[in-house]
Amino acid sequence: MIEIKNASFQYANSENSALNNISLSIGQGECVLLCGESGCGKTTVTRLLNGLIPHYYEGRMTGQILLNGMDIAKTELYKTARHVGSVFQNPRSQFFCVDTTSEVAFGCENMGMPERIVHQRVHDVSEKLHITPLLGRSIFNLSGGEKQKIACASVWAVNPGIFVLDEPTSNLDIDAIEDLKNTLLLWKSQGKTVIISEHRLYWLKDVCDRVIYIKKGQIGFDLPMEQFRLFSPQKISGLGLRTLSLKDLSLHPTGFHNDGTTLVLKNYNFSYKKTPALQISSLRLPVGEIIAVIGHNGAGKSTFSKCLCGLEKKFRGITCFDGVPYNRKKMLKKCYMVMQDVNHQLFCESVDDEVRLGMDEGNADNVSSVLKGLDLTELSSRHPMSLSGGQKQRVAIASAFLANKDILLFDEPTSGLDFSHMKQTSQLLRSLKGRKTVFVVTHDPELVLRCCTHVLHLEKGTEVEWYPLMEENKKRLIHFFLHEKE
Amino acid sequence: MQNGILQTRIENRSFVLDPRTKLILLITMSTFVLGGMGSESASFLTPCLCVLPLFLLTVSKKYKSAATYAGIYSAAYLTFALFGPHTSGCLHFLLLGAAGIITKLMPSLTMGIYVISTTTVSEFTASMQRLHLSEKLIIPLSVMFRFFPTVADEFASINAAMKMRGISFGGKNAGKMLEYRFIPLMTCSVKIGDELSAAALTRGLGGTVKRTNICRIGFHLQDMIMILLCAVPFGCLFLDACGAF
Repeated sequence: MIEIKNASFQYANSENSALNNISLSIGQGECVLLCGESGCGKTTVTRLLNGLIPHYYEGRMTGQILLNGMDIAKTELYKTARHVGSVFQNPRSQFFCVDTTSEVAFGCENMGMPERIVHQRVHDVSEKLHITPLLGRSIFNLSGGEKQKIACASVWAVNPGIFVLDEPTSNLDIDAIEDLKNTLLLWKSQGKTVIISEHRLYWLKDVCDRVIYIKKGQIGFDLPMEQFRLFSPQKISGLGLRTLSLKDLSLHPTGFHNDGTTLVLKNYNFSYKKTPALQISSLRLPVGEIIAVIGHNGAGKSTFSKCLCGLEKKFRGITCFDGVPYNRKKMLKKCYMVMQDVNHQLFCESVDDEVRLGMDEGNADNVSSVLKGLDLTELSSRHPMSLSGGQKQRVAIASAFLANKDILLFDEPTSGLDFSHMKQTSQLLRSLKGRKTVFVVTHDPELVLRCCTHVLHLEKGTEVEWYPLMEENKKRLIHFFLHEKE
Repeated sequence: MQNGILQTRIENRSFVLDPRTKLILLITMSTFVLGGMGSESASFLTPCLCVLPLFLLTVSKKYKSAATYAGIYSAAYLTFALFGPHTSGCLHFLLLGAAGIITKLMPSLTMGIYVISTTTVSEFTASMQRLHLSEKLIIPLSVMFRFFPTVADEFASINAAMKMRGISFGGKNAGKMLEYRFIPLMTCSVKIGDELSAAALTRGLGGTVKRTNICRIGFHLQDMIMILLCAVPFGCLFLDACGAF
């Protein structure tokens, strides 16, 4: 039984309060979805529940959070940890150990359980989640989905009564989401309380039984899932939420650029050690369009991206752009990848310096117009690291424009974004059509339907199909994203 | 997937040493090879010690690192042995210096890489606990162990981003290489460190209860051999000090 009484919180370095007088109670065995726009305070609610607020994140807190009568603010974190298990957004940074077995055992070890019991727990949990083959491996060799499973197992091994998940699917593909859904159903069937804060809603339709919508730090509504499910798609997007049903998504036709020039990928073969990761002998793509690159985890999407951008040193393929062949080194000059974590590619002290770094000499006069076009003029003297995620993305694009890059590749540009930010990104991508050739590697069907003109479907390192995105092809795309595990 | 040299690979390990043995090996290497301690009579031991990292890397199936080490070390050694006697003056000293630094530094450095890349965080904490060190020391040290490979990972992404922007040692911005690399590295490291701590705390790290550790460590035959091997130069040093020779 969780009881939040008149809770407010303001982070130490922020001017606005993150939560404003929230009161709610969650009964045992309930499965609650927390949703809302980015920055609405749903992550803060999860932090109140697992005790990270006020024990780890500093700020001003009022009100009370009771967990079976225990005041979390007055309980040491390691004691709360016995009752509340947390799964976080980024599987990369929530592991303490470097090998999977120790990781699953980690929570139990911290409780000081006897060795025999720890082994027993690790064994049981691994059986239930079907991860026994993953034990004894290095976490650096696991996919995002596998990492998230290990994280769930590790939390479950402690056997808490309450599970708190904070945007657990941001970095997952469709299969991994399906697996996570099954894990949640398993917890639910055991009578555990599950609280999940999430942007992607479609997979939780049949999992959660209560929906709490948070707006600007207050509870907007608190409804049973049956009622929430009846909301029209317009109403859902009006609330700033992602779609509830992939089938309801509509295509936003963008028209084709279609000037007849082509991009031909020849001899796109690449292997890691002896495992082939990419095998495309020849592929003809149009220039100036926005091409979605889809496929399951391990389909070769990231190898494809690295090879296209010339980042794989041993890659020998040739790319013909409008009939002119480019080798790997030349592609490095022609291509630019906007990474999933944009922080990796911003180096300078101001936006202005940033976009001038690596700029083509002839473009010096265009700086202000490019900045204006991307709505960055007012930010030009700011430090890139002080900007929001979307602004950082635009700075990266501006630098690509000024470096005369013809091909832009976006790696998961909308992971963890809410509806309005996703829409912004899609508009940005649409504005690039005809000026650049854009590849978008993504697991987000909403984004694809909003801005892409073509779809390239990779599987096992080779192209399965490749089609222009028109009304008659929409079904093919939705089918891929709805496809149950084979 | 490509692996950094610092990332611990734990799949199909055949030759496992106790972390404490590795620590002893590291100390021995740095004392006698890097530090140049040791008596005249035991000088034959130094080359033996230099072969040790090569042996250890090979049995842990890190062939590439082993080959790199063997290549650089023998190149430095042979260059001096072949050309050293025929040069004189400034060139001679330059050669002596370069070869000396490489032959002294490489073995210990390689041993360090071996230790980090073959020890898991839990093995490390387990051995520290056996040595009865305080938790206050063990936790930060183990976080560091976890942090190195992650930072190496970040570094790889940043490098890729820099290449696409045309910033390289040969390029026009070579002077600012270091700065450009460190700004994003710092931001990402701080973020990851923050998330790592939060995740570890919600899972009960830092409580007052005594932690259990399911990781099985202990001394085996191979550890005995290694420790004996390390004992030899120390023994010689001791006898030397007592004036036995």
